[in-house]
Amino acid sequence: MSKIRLGVVAELLNYDWVTFTDLVRALETTGGNLGAHLGKLVEAGYVQEEKRFVNRRPLTRYRLTQKGRDAFAEHVRQLQSLLVP
Amino acid sequence: MSDVDEVQAREHIAMVDRILAQSQPRLCTGGEFFIVWGIGSAAVTTLFACIDLGMLPSVAAWWAPVILLACAIYSFVRARAARRTLASSSLLQREFFNVLWISVGLAFIADAAAFRLFPGIASAAIWSVVEAIVLLYIGMHGNRRALLCGVLVVVSLIVANFVGGFYPPFVLAAGMFLGYAGFGLSELLVRE
Repeated sequence: MSKIRLGVVAELLNYDWVTFTDLVRALETTGGNLGAHLGKLVEAGYVQEEKRFVNRRPLTRYRLTQKGRDAFAEHVRQLQSLLVP
Repeated sequence: MSDVDEVQAREHIAMVDRILAQSQPRLCTGGEFFIVWGIGSAAVTTLFACIDLGMLPSVAAWWAPVILLACAIYSFVRARAARRTLASSSLLQREFFNVLWISVGLAFIADAAAFRLFPGIASAAIWSVVEAIVLLYIGMHGNRRALLCGVLVVVSLIVANFVGGFYPPFVLAAGMFLGYAGFGLSELLVRE
């Protein structure tokens, strides 16, 4: 999992739905970069995407799936195992 | 993972910690658990104090395991009912419930299986310590009422330590009732 994707998953951990704009702001990255990473996460089934219109303006938001939570926990475990001497 | 070295692993973990710390969501604490255990622990403490003072016959001590068992069964049944919600809750939320269950479980074990090590009022004081830990943990994550109630329980511990006569168990019971059960009630009222 790349650092940006790991950051996306970490951001989604504590909220039910997070908008694309909020993720861009939180991760301090560009929309294009984030969009590419989110696409991979959605494709892997880790993140659920919802697109709708609010006051005639498009709103895209994301939510972590259970598969995403499990993958995150496993990834963090593997990262921590790299730190053990 | 083969393309991540130790330095990158540290960076990634630090980033995750920072993000999780920054979001700091308020914990959903399940107010009813606090009411049940606050009243239960206060009731058992008061029960034994009354028996020691001769206000109740010694056979009344059998109510203590009944009360604690009732609290445990209620908690188990409610926790099972909330299992589906818990599965979709945040890591922080699940960690909190781990802290809660471990703390209450240990107090239960200390009372039931280590009663020679913690005789008399010491067994009640363990409950106060555990309740203070749980409340202060919640308070550390932004819940001021929990912080206040945790301090209240700690104050009851200190006052019970120094006050004389037959007051100590009643002071502890008051701390449990007002601090722990009181917090639970305030949580339910806020969420309505």
